[in-house]
Amino acid sequence: MSLLDLVIFLPLIGFLALLLVPRGAPGMSRTAALGISLVIFLVSLGLLGPYWFAQPTGYTFSTDIPWISTPTIRYHVGLDGLSLWLILLTTLLTPICIVISWKYIQNRVKEYFAFLLLLEFGLIGVFVALDLFLFYVFWEITLVPMYFLIGIWGHDRRIYAAVKFFLYTMAGSVLMLAAMIYLYNRSGSFDFTIIQSMIQTGRLSLSWEEQILLFLAFFIAFAIKVPLFPLHTWLPDAHVEAPTAGSVMLASVMLKMGCYGLIRFCLPLFPNAARSCSGWINALAITGIIYGALVAMVQPNMKKLVAYSSVSHLGFVVLGIFSFTQQGMDGAVYQMLNHGISTGGLFIMVGYLYERRHSLEIKSFGGVATPAPNLSTVFLITTLASIGLPLLNNFIGEFLVLQGAATVNFSWTVFAAIGVILSAVYMLWMYQRVIYGRATEDLAHHMPDLSGREWAAMLPLLVLMVWMGSFSQSFLPPISAQTAKILEQSKVGVDFRVSVKNPAPVLSSAVENKETGSAAR
Amino acid sequence: MPLANFIPTADDYLRYLPEIILTVVGVVIMFLEAVGGERRKPALGWLAGAGLLAAIWGSVVALGVGGTGFQNMVIVDGFATFFRILVLVIGLLTIVSSTQYLDREKANAGEFHALLLFSIAGQCVMASANELIMVFIGLEISSIASYILAGYLRDDRRNNESALKYFLLGSFATAFLLYGVAWVYGLTGSTNLAEVRRVLMTPESAPNLVLMGTAAALMFVGFAFKVSAAPFQVWAPDVYQGAPAPVSAFMSTGPKAAAFAVFLRVFITAFGPIATRWEPFVWGSAIATMIVGNFAALTQTNIKRLLAYSSIAHAGYVLVAVTAHSEIGTAAAMFYLAAYAFMQIGAFAVVTWFSRQGEKFVNVDDLAGLGERQPMVAAMLTIFLLSLIGVPLTGGFFGKFYIFRAALDSNLVWLTVIGLLNSAVAAYYYLRLIVVMYMKEPGAATENIGPVSAGLRVAILGSALATLVLGIFPSLVLDFAGRSAALVK
Amino acid sequence: MLDAVFFYTFALMTLTGAVLTITRKSAVHSAIWLIVSLLGVAGLYLLQQAEFLFAVQIVLYIGGIMVLFLFVIMLVNLDEAAKQRQFNNQRWIALGCAVIVGAEILYVLAKGTASLSLPAPAAAPAAGGNTEQIAVSLFRDYLLPFEAASLLLLAAIVGSVIMAKRRA
Repeated sequence: MSLLDLVIFLPLIGFLALLLVPRGAPGMSRTAALGISLVIFLVSLGLLGPYWFAQPTGYTFSTDIPWISTPTIRYHVGLDGLSLWLILLTTLLTPICIVISWKYIQNRVKEYFAFLLLLEFGLIGVFVALDLFLFYVFWEITLVPMYFLIGIWGHDRRIYAAVKFFLYTMAGSVLMLAAMIYLYNRSGSFDFTIIQSMIQTGRLSLSWEEQILLFLAFFIAFAIKVPLFPLHTWLPDAHVEAPTAGSVMLASVMLKMGCYGLIRFCLPLFPNAARSCSGWINALAITGIIYGALVAMVQPNMKKLVAYSSVSHLGFVVLGIFSFTQQGMDGAVYQMLNHGISTGGLFIMVGYLYERRHSLEIKSFGGVATPAPNLSTVFLITTLASIGLPLLNNFIGEFLVLQGAATVNFSWTVFAAIGVILSAVYMLWMYQRVIYGRATEDLAHHMPDLSGREWAAMLPLLVLMVWMGSFSQSFLPPISAQTAKILEQSKVGVDFRVSVKNPAPVLSSAVENKETGSAAR
Repeated sequence: MPLANFIPTADDYLRYLPEIILTVVGVVIMFLEAVGGERRKPALGWLAGAGLLAAIWGSVVALGVGGTGFQNMVIVDGFATFFRILVLVIGLLTIVSSTQYLDREKANAGEFHALLLFSIAGQCVMASANELIMVFIGLEISSIASYILAGYLRDDRRNNESALKYFLLGSFATAFLLYGVAWVYGLTGSTNLAEVRRVLMTPESAPNLVLMGTAAALMFVGFAFKVSAAPFQVWAPDVYQGAPAPVSAFMSTGPKAAAFAVFLRVFITAFGPIATRWEPFVWGSAIATMIVGNFAALTQTNIKRLLAYSSIAHAGYVLVAVTAHSEIGTAAAMFYLAAYAFMQIGAFAVVTWFSRQGEKFVNVDDLAGLGERQPMVAAMLTIFLLSLIGVPLTGGFFGKFYIFRAALDSNLVWLTVIGLLNSAVAAYYYLRLIVVMYMKEPGAATENIGPVSAGLRVAILGSALATLVLGIFPSLVLDFAGRSAALVK
Repeated sequence: MLDAVFFYTFALMTLTGAVLTITRKSAVHSAIWLIVSLLGVAGLYLLQQAEFLFAVQIVLYIGGIMVLFLFVIMLVNLDEAAKQRQFNNQRWIALGCAVIVGAEILYVLAKGTASLSLPAPAAAPAAGGNTEQIAVSLFRDYLLPFEAASLLLLAAIVGSVIMAKRRA
């Protein structure tokens, strides 16, 4: 029983405990949920221990005990630099989500907070599972609470959105399950580390067709979750219809499950297939970046705008991953965190505006700055962070991704950079229409400034935006250590059908990157 | 010939103990019903339950003896014991979930319990049959009792329709089965499963394989009807919709599990050597069953009918495991049938409670608001539905997982892919129930809904608990299934 | 030669009786034709030297069950049923099926029994004759199915009582 197991199972215990709270006591449920989630956050800070002074190689806090005997399925979890920050992001955002839902959720309060904790349980599990089967179990567990969060507490078209969300993810993941079973039948194990080493040492050799099909089965499941263009159509619906906390969890953490899966499983397990498909995937990623930005620009609905901006931002992550360079990967992982902080912040701000006006349409706002200066300022910082202003978090991630992509194919960088410019256009335009201008009498009347509770939810995010934008070295070292390892693992058989015109930069850039990486530190 | 030759040994009786217990208790119940009067009616349910518990004990005793008995007529191995205990447990759950129902519909409890016990005895015979004659007799005992149970409320038109359809089509299908048995006897000179296998394995005595394949196909028709596999599934929706809800729960689990037991035993033991002949049509039927069941269920508005179509689809998944015809396939089918029994009975138990007198409320839309007005029952139904979808940490998920693992192990890649995509389609119509329960405005049907009776509570909670336990610690059942999957040949 | 004559006579009796049983409008006529058909079967048993089965067939089916049938027919009012249409409109489909089955049978006959590689027929009964063989089969080898069938009958009887009983 390591600290990690405690972090995994505390939310589940919290979920069960909340179910025991009597129905008639919503205040008690709120307080209990907040208390539990804060305790989980504090405990999860302990996970930083091994990463404080050193960069441990391999997995820390790992537990490996048998769960099911036939077929061999083990409860195998472990933490590394890749999952560390994602877990902290999850444990940080859960109490924030509880705080922002404090007043907004008025019916079936107990169930709402219970589902949030169940979601946290699933999400943490996804990020630490090292057994493919266990990973799948957690992956599917996240589906259920999110489905209910959207379906019960969402807006008007919530049922449609919830069902669409469930079916999309389910359809993708069943194929992933088939691929996992196939791998098991070939290798005799569900353990990711064992399969990975078998593939690396050549003890498990898959034919080219097998590799491609297995890769695609995993890839499609993850790409739906990311979401990669053109599999993104569930996302705007789910985001718009979800309650604020649902949108925040969805955008900030659940989308990262897809990105995480790509890095953790797709690359090390099927390096050849991943590399040979990278051209197509990057083309889709870049299409997604520009398409998401263009669609976001014309949205009349704030939440939908932020949702499409997510499609655009996540394109950067995929581009970074499939550039197969050290900077690109670091940037992708960093961007995952950044997007979690800044887009989460944006959704919270939009949620605040909604609670005041009961509308998400941009045109029903305007002139918010006069009655609510604090709110406008916080919104501005969040907006700027999302655009990628230097000294704020997104800048570092996008810069690293673009730099990594440039070393492989400069035209990728050119096209992706268009997305950065477009993001400034649509975000600032929205900000301008919502915050500036003349406030109508009615609006000024219903626009109180931020309350203490609302401040409390945003403050940690604001701090992180600045911190991550100006002192990236407090976060990057564990990430780089891990991405370097994954790059190393995904290098098996580089000479095998890699359609990079000039393979030399790929290899040399890895070396180079290590130098620049350390120089940056 | 000396008389001693005609007297079975004591061990033989022990091997047949569960069936003996069930028959005796069934007869005693009928007797008490006649002499007991109104006052003792509730005791009959208890007696039936006790009989089932005793039969479970009997199955364990029988397994302790093991082997074949009565001149190779019955075989007691892990496989037989697994299915015996499974149908007995299904019987227990049916009894606890039907007590209040019988009261409510003012139906006679005595014959109901007696027939239920006879039906289960027939299923136990099927589970332990080592001979085509025994398969046939077991199947008929189980079926005839189920025909009557399906039409138990005689004054209800839907019950009548259900029973008549079930009876006519069922007899027709059994005729096919019997015809197949005759062919097998004609071609191999034996009806003993092991003997048939031996004949088929010996090249010099092997019969014409085309005819043998035809014989297998004829028997397949009979079994496919009983498990409601396409293209012989047409009866299931009408029958399950019309029959009393607890009986529908029973019919879609008990006889189905027993039919799959004989299906597996006959096709893998006796027809194992000609697997290449029967594999194609079982394969085709598996795909057709999954697709027909799932796609027809998408548009249903009656919960019982929806569950009937879903039960067809689930038969399709088990057929995938049969197609794999390997040991892990058999184990997967066994596990699946057990997991399926709990979730299906649980779901039907909720329907039994919800429908109220005369089964007035059986539409999907009637469930609106259940999540708010009866959160506990709604949560339980949600567990059953999630398990039917196949969400992890429920029994249904592991069932599907083992089945598709077995299929991939036998290189049935397309079957696996089609099956998995089907289970994604299936998610839609189960989710619809959850949507109505939690996300729609509460409707009139959930107003003033009474509490759940004690018996139904036991059934619902017990099924939910079993569904979760099978989902979190599947090894408890799977290990036993895996050990018993090696059928005695 | 004589065997063949008897065989075809009895076979003809069986089939004619069966066809007429299902085509007669009057239930009583049907029952009587069924008796003819069963008699033919009894004759076939005798040709196979199964005297016991022959006797059982006559005593049980013709003597017992058929008389019961006739009782029931006379007790229940079947006049209504006699006026109803007996066949539906699918006779052409049925004819098609019959032709296909007939063709199959002819094909198999043309191929001859050798192509079927059937197992050797059962040996002729040893001394003591057919009756003892049946006893051994029924009370030793197939004792359990024989007994289990009684449960089947019990279930059927209980069922018919339930179906026939008026509701309290």
